Amino acid sequence: MTPAAVQQTPTDAASVPEGTDLTEWYYSRGYSDGLPLVPPTPSKIAAVIGALGGDAEHALARVPPRWGSLTREVLAINMVMAGCLPEYAPIVEAAILALCDTSFNLNGVQATTHMACPLLVVNGPIRTRIGMNAGCNVFGSGNRANATIGRAIRLILLNVGGGWPGLLDKSTLGHPGKYTYCIAENEEASPFAPYHVDKGYAAEDSSVFVIAAEPPHSVTNHFANDAEGVLDSLCSAMSTICNNNAVSAGHCAVVLGPEHAATIAKSGWRRNDIRHYLWAHSGNRWGDLYGNGRYGKVYNRNLPIWYKREPDARTPVVPSPDNIHVFVAGGEAGRFSAFIPGWGHMSTPVLRGVGGAQPSGDAQCVDGTCLL
Amino acid sequence: MKTIPVYDPRGVVETEPMTTAPRVKTLRGLRLGFLDNTKWNANKLLRGVRDRLTEKHAFGTVSYYRKESFSRSASADLIRAIAAENDVVVTAIGD
Repeated sequence: MTPAAVQQTPTDAASVPEGTDLTEWYYSRGYSDGLPLVPPTPSKIAAVIGALGGDAEHALARVPPRWGSLTREVLAINMVMAGCLPEYAPIVEAAILALCDTSFNLNGVQATTHMACPLLVVNGPIRTRIGMNAGCNVFGSGNRANATIGRAIRLILLNVGGGWPGLLDKSTLGHPGKYTYCIAENEEASPFAPYHVDKGYAAEDSSVFVIAAEPPHSVTNHFANDAEGVLDSLCSAMSTICNNNAVSAGHCAVVLGPEHAATIAKSGWRRNDIRHYLWAHSGNRWGDLYGNGRYGKVYNRNLPIWYKREPDARTPVVPSPDNIHVFVAGGEAGRFSAFIPGWGHMSTPVLRGVGGAQPSGDAQCVDGTCLL
Repeated sequence: MKTIPVYDPRGVVETEPMTTAPRVKTLRGLRLGFLDNTKWNANKLLRGVRDRLTEKHAFGTVSYYRKESFSRSASADLIRAIAAENDVVVTAIGD
């Protein structure tokens, strides 16, 4: 990008002769994620700005590592380019504010050589209101809201945040979620309280959860008929020596398919029991993490100080059960779940209410479990 | 000729021009600092550089600092301390 271009504001943007192939024009400007962009029009941009509350110049965030200023107008331009409808705006806004929360460390997520990128999980009534897919093929293609909300976030990370591959995004491999990585929890098929209710929000609130994440790793289990049997398969998927949690701790996510969730619930287990079981029965042998001493003694300062650094010691995948974020999503048929490793201790997931919703201070007891 | 508007999705970057610190002419007597970003091998690299430099030059003091996390910016307090306690600083990552 040239310094002159950086200084150009959207409202100063040029006009082109009528009849110009806008798809090719936008490609030529380098604003695309690789797929064709929807050419923004004044009325489409105005509709999104209206959905955000008006005031086009209202500043929302500065997006690292380029630290471009994200105004409502710039957000609207990227949303229109991604193919979003105006009613998706509250989710995109909440998501980008969550990503720009200091604890998420978006600067690092954007620039890292690791493949992690933000995964969005949406909860609450806005999911059904805008027609998000929480069912079959939830991580896949075919739904406008899922696809374009995730794509709008990616376009902002590219255009405003400057996370262009090879320039400020140094990811060795990247992953397909860098086009779009946005799902909704299948609250209707879940036997558990919705994720955001578990965290103190009211069921009628909506929320966006963001985590820097690797792609989903499929967990198949067609034989178990109780909680332990299903979760042991998840523990196996979690216990590899080379996912980023194994060597950098942090947080991870687990997505239970509805059939697995039903089997687990049939055993009387709740979300809190699930994350504790997963934490207690996953992990790696310390010696296995570092070639069993072949390259000398390794301490790894990026893991908690209290991990025992002895060959046969168990090394947890993440430091606490609370760092395992459990969701229910997917189609009604199929005994599959997914483990989604995170990036590591360098980024903390953020849960943010849509439209400024806040968790209530006293809603700490969910599904019979109270957090102190 | 009729025209149609096109839009820039990048947002403005607000920048402030800064100059680099003046280059030092000699290392003798200067306060030397090292900032370890805590990547896996940063300490090995930086300690090696420290040992070579201190063999060749008579520094006033030699100090070693560590970031909280390799992926996060050094805290404002740490940067202030490094600036106050050193004349020259070496930093590096070691993956």
